Amino acid sequence: MHPILSQPGQDADDADPDAMNSLAGALDSGLLAPDARAVPATLDAFLADVERRAFRLAELQLGHREDALDAVQDAMLRLVRHYRDKPAQEWTPLFWGILRRRIVDLQRRRKVRSIVVGWLGGRDEDGEDLPAWEPADSTPGPLQRLEDGKAWSEISAAVQRLPRRQREAFLLRMLEGLDVADTARAMGCSEGSVKTHLSRAMHHLRDQLEDWR
Amino acid sequence: MTPDPDKFARRARALYLEASRQLDPSTAERLRATRRQALAAARPAPHRFASRVLLPVGAFAVLALATLMIWQPLRRADSATPQAASTAQTADADVDLPPDADSADPQLYQNLDFFDWLAANDTSSRSTEP
Repeated sequence: MHPILSQPGQDADDADPDAMNSLAGALDSGLLAPDARAVPATLDAFLADVERRAFRLAELQLGHREDALDAVQDAMLRLVRHYRDKPAQEWTPLFWGILRRRIVDLQRRRKVRSIVVGWLGGRDEDGEDLPAWEPADSTPGPLQRLEDGKAWSEISAAVQRLPRRQREAFLLRMLEGLDVADTARAMGCSEGSVKTHLSRAMHHLRDQLEDWR
Repeated sequence: MTPDPDKFARRARALYLEASRQLDPSTAERLRATRRQALAAARPAPHRFASRVLLPVGAFAVLALATLMIWQPLRRADSATPQAASTAQTADADVDLPPDADSADPQLYQNLDFFDWLAANDTSSRSTEP
């Protein structure tokens, strides 16, 4: 039995992080086309390849379309300005690292704003009160047009409920498909920490997404 | 029963990739514009050439024009003396001409016969003087 196919009642932290990463490695080869793993030759091609996924990832974490666009824009600008002369192999962890930090900044800023608004007796329109994965506007979003929109909404909501580091590990390693070293670099931690965070994230998600059994 | 982690992860990633592909056109266009803007910030733009070359050239041209405009009045002032001399000569030549009707005394025109006679006598008396 796979380690994360644990018996009921088993401690979530008991799962083997290495097994989780071997699973992620298998997914890397299974879901992505061979050329998708190739490093683009130009920065333009790299950004064109990554921009939509970066937006989705930022939107998933921030729950706000405009904030997500701001975060992606800032990450692109910083990568081009400061790291365009770096080898192309380094662009991927650098970009995701910049985006991760920008998302954290925006989350902190939003939290401060929420506290201030709370003191003033107002209501933060951005939304701690909003559902976890509902877009801020009431018009049908693009996800609604997807055949699997409901499933995506469920997993998005579950991912948003994860602790921040676990969420980052899951998004970068499992969804974006970075290898352990690049994930560690983007997260600014050791590879062992990545494995631990990912293992815990998977267990939390398993508990939350019962319909996926 | 526990979820199949392999199935779960595959499904999650497939949904993520599909959601990224299915972005609405306005968001996709904004992302493209953002990328172009970021890349344009890095490469030397044509307006930088303009600011580096055309601006100094234009400034030099304006300076040269201003110098010319200042220099020309000075040159005119220098050549004003010969012009004054020629003006004086012209004034002498005007003595032989009839007086201007606007500036002349009206009595001159009322007693033209008298002044004709006076002028004739004056000329004759000058010619008879030794």
